[in-house]
Amino acid sequence: MQRSPSSYPLMWRVMDALEAAFAAIWPKGGGKYTPYLMLTPAIVLVGTLVVGLLYIGDSSLRTLDKSTFQFSEFWTLENYVRAFSEPFIFTVVWRSLMGAVIVTIVTLMLAFPYAYVMVRTPNAFLRKFLLIALFLPFFIGQVVRAYGWLIILGNQGIVNDVLGLVGVEPLRLLFNYPAVLFGLVQYMLPFAVLMLAPALTAIPEEIEAAAGSLGASWVETMTHVVLPMAKPGLIGAGLVVLTLSLTDFAMPAILGGGTQDFIANAIYDQFFRTSDQGFGATLALLLIALGSMLVGVVFAVFGAGTLALDGSQK
Amino acid sequence: MNRPRSQQIVYWSLVILTLLTLSAPTFVVLGASFTSGNIIQFPPDGFSLKWYAAIIGEQNLRDAFGRSLIVATICVLVSLPTGTLAGIALSKFRIRGANAIQIYLLLPFTIPLIGSGIGLMLAFGDAGILGNLWPIGIATAVINLPFMIWAVSSSAVGLDPDLELAAQSCGAGPVQTFFSVTLPAVAPGVITGSLLMFILSLNEFLVSLLLVDARIVTLPVQIYNSIRSIITPDLAAVSVVFIVVAMLAIAALDKLVGLEIFLKSK
Repeated sequence: MQRSPSSYPLMWRVMDALEAAFAAIWPKGGGKYTPYLMLTPAIVLVGTLVVGLLYIGDSSLRTLDKSTFQFSEFWTLENYVRAFSEPFIFTVVWRSLMGAVIVTIVTLMLAFPYAYVMVRTPNAFLRKFLLIALFLPFFIGQVVRAYGWLIILGNQGIVNDVLGLVGVEPLRLLFNYPAVLFGLVQYMLPFAVLMLAPALTAIPEEIEAAAGSLGASWVETMTHVVLPMAKPGLIGAGLVVLTLSLTDFAMPAILGGGTQDFIANAIYDQFFRTSDQGFGATLALLLIALGSMLVGVVFAVFGAGTLALDGSQK
Repeated sequence: MNRPRSQQIVYWSLVILTLLTLSAPTFVVLGASFTSGNIIQFPPDGFSLKWYAAIIGEQNLRDAFGRSLIVATICVLVSLPTGTLAGIALSKFRIRGANAIQIYLLLPFTIPLIGSGIGLMLAFGDAGILGNLWPIGIATAVINLPFMIWAVSSSAVGLDPDLELAAQSCGAGPVQTFFSVTLPAVAPGVITGSLLMFILSLNEFLVSLLLVDARIVTLPVQIYNSIRSIITPDLAAVSVVFIVVAMLAIAALDKLVGLEIFLKSK
């Protein structure tokens, strides 16, 4: 069918209809509500988490009657008293906290040079290679990565094969604390590098050259110029790594083999092994509180870093 | 800039150590999946594709992968419009209480995953919707939503408000302005965010573990359940599925927006 040159294109008709529909449902002068309306779906979606927190709060105030397996009708703080008096909880919390601190330090020590070389190299090919090597594990997921470590560290794994060549008896490298921490470091590296890299990009290379031309050695340039300027990025990356490793479930479960439980594993066990939903909910709320306290302490000591929402950086 | 030799040695040894740590599991899983033996080992015992043939025949693995794809698709369908609108609103408008809204929208990151997962499990359980796949899709959208918002808002900063005014003075209505000017300007952010959401949802383990029952396990949960019993090479072959998807996603991300976007300082 020959269309006359003056025919009105279909796309325009659709657009006209959409504009008319929009004008019909949108009150005149409603412009000032636009941003709030655009934010509404996101606020509702995140609201499901708030509802979930209310459920956790309610459960945490009910105790389990071990004879009837019913939860109490009334609210009580008994679960909280128990959480602070059970020795095994203390062990698990201490193990998670120490683990998170060690993982954070090691991860930052490895991530900083990686990010630095990635940002500073003039070689575009090398930069791309380092980026791909970073994104590949990031996109593969924790379970598959932990599975890889099982193959590497297992009794018939590569490390023990190599040790066998030089006559060392097979070592038990899995299901212990170092294995969990090692897995966590590997899991956290992409997060840390991706948070550090923009902070390093923001430091002009000329400043380093200037320090060098004034006689600073590279170590002095690092400690007196680059590290202080990268502090916001280091704090941001450190906080993310600290809170993510403190609350991790998969690495302690898979590489710890049930003997190296972190807080998240203890919570899971309360729900699915002991079926004590109330106590599990109490531990979950205390974990959220512990995480927030850590963030608060770091903010108070080091400043808000790149996580500052108002853009002001100390 | 010329670097002293000692600095190069220190940096490069740390970079190589990091590269090895990052890449070792991937290559080992890849290698082990091609073994012709019946136990998992590396270096593999001979070369064969028999474990790939085996996983194609395994109904439960195929189903689990299909379910993971459905969950990831629902996650993107929910988070793409939600996160795009929120990201544009946060970066384009002066909003009263913007700080409070930002803190609220960061809740998915500040609440530990185990807390979010347990909370959603209790809430969804009470609503009687556990046992379906779509609540898992919504859950993965919620816990990763800040990634989507961040991706869109960081690309919306470059959006020139004059362009929207120009479109309007040329006679475009608000709907056409949005689709012809605003949306194309933030397209790199929308693409980056959607890819991240898809991959993170496909890989999501803990929240899936809490929300599935035995009939609807997703692939990461299936792998987790299997490595707790016996480790057979077919698991390595299944894991390679994740590696291939990750490689495709990286290639797409690099082609569409360039990986270097992640190095930019704000």
